[in-house]
Amino acid sequence: MIAARPLSRMLAAALAALSLASLPARAQEHGAPTPAAEHADIITPHITDSRHLELPYWKPPFAVEVELPHWTPVHVGGFELDLSPTKHVVMLLLAATLVGLMLVLVARAHVRHTRESGHPRGAAAGIEAMVLYMRNEVIVPNVGPHGNAFVPFLLSLFFFILAANLLGLIPYGATATGNISVTATLALMTFFVVEIAGIRAQGWGYLNTFIYWPHDMGLVMRIPMSLIISPIELVGKIARPFALAIRLFANMTAGHIVVLAFISLIFFFSSLLSIAPFLMAIAIMMLELFVAFLQAFIFTLLASVFIGLVREAHH
Amino acid sequence: MRRLSYPALVAPAALVLVATPAFAEEGGPVNLLAPSGGLMFWTLLIFVALMLILSRYAFKPLLAAVEAREAALEETIAKAKADREAAAALLAEQQAGLAKSRAEAQAMIAEGRSAGEKLRAELLEQGKSQQAEFLERARRDLSNEKDRAIAEIRKEAVELAIKGAARVIERNLDDAGNRQLVESYLATVGTRR
Repeated sequence: MIAARPLSRMLAAALAALSLASLPARAQEHGAPTPAAEHADIITPHITDSRHLELPYWKPPFAVEVELPHWTPVHVGGFELDLSPTKHVVMLLLAATLVGLMLVLVARAHVRHTRESGHPRGAAAGIEAMVLYMRNEVIVPNVGPHGNAFVPFLLSLFFFILAANLLGLIPYGATATGNISVTATLALMTFFVVEIAGIRAQGWGYLNTFIYWPHDMGLVMRIPMSLIISPIELVGKIARPFALAIRLFANMTAGHIVVLAFISLIFFFSSLLSIAPFLMAIAIMMLELFVAFLQAFIFTLLASVFIGLVREAHH
Repeated sequence: MRRLSYPALVAPAALVLVATPAFAEEGGPVNLLAPSGGLMFWTLLIFVALMLILSRYAFKPLLAAVEAREAALEETIAKAKADREAAAALLAEQQAGLAKSRAEAQAMIAEGRSAGEKLRAELLEQGKSQQAEFLERARRDLSNEKDRAIAEIRKEAVELAIKGAARVIERNLDDAGNRQLVESYLATVGTRR
């Protein structure tokens, strides 16, 4: 870790700023920077949930760990539910607060600007462009007629996932959307919204979305076909939330593992060679920035497509 | 919005059934796929709260403002279209009027030109005939004058001759020599003629 040459020492100092997100976890565990040869898992603590929160601190290692409160688990039915806040809960709350504050303030500015000059300016115009793009190009065309009713849900989904994704990219942040519990909850919620939208739109016809009952075949063929195809339809229906949950979780987790691996390599080399992983880490961070938007967009897009499919599904 | 929050609120019941509160124990091998009931509960709570707040205080006013603006824009476009149509109609009308007056002007010019031609021809004809008349009259006057002058000269000459002759006759009527003179004069007059 200790650089032999001044240049690489300066480089390491510069990189410390970049890798603040990863440094605290490592520094807190071991007190001081450890030689790379010693076994230390800095990646897993970064991508998993924990009961600690890392906050900025002015003295090296520039972070303090704050223990989050521990509550006694509540019992629901036969299950034990631990509702103690964790790092990811805090990050979700932060994401929701940021999104809520920003969008509410932007909406007020938008209304004010529109009243004053007929059109929004600055951030309001930017957010309006995003909201209108999602509504006009993604949600309404995919959901189909009366798609406007689903716009608030899907837009909230988009902005919430986006904020949670982006929070993982800043120092001291953590990617709550890289946690399967979070993505599974969002996916399950989407699943229920989709299925209930299907029931409301189709009534008894909703049964056709998972029971295959071809009317143009003879009864002799119809029963075995139904017995074979229906489970497939059902699996297809249930696979959707799984795909949503795993896609978001895996994308966010994998990106962070790659970034952390490159940042680790910087310190592993501790020489001029560190420039290579440094540049790669920057490139992957750029990619992650894009992926943060992309995955939020894809989640919303697929939710819209699923709602649209179940509402118009006729076999 | 009301329709949406209902399915979203149904979800917790199902979640509680599905979620097994298996928190990743610190130390041992980490299972990234182990769900945590507490985190799922918090996710749901935070998201539903966010969605309620956003749809009420962010998306509703924002989209309402956008729709109002779109409506205003459409109205403006419709008005502009109507204005343009009115302007086009007006233009066509004016163009028709212009064409009409131009044709009228053309007709007037043509008429004036033909009238002028006619007038010129008439005047020319008249001038010619007048000139001929004048010429004729002048010629006639000239010849009359000449005739008169000749007659006058002759009368004068005869008178002069008579006067001269009378003088001569008064003085030398008895003179034989004079008689001879007169006779010879008369002879010359007679030859001159």
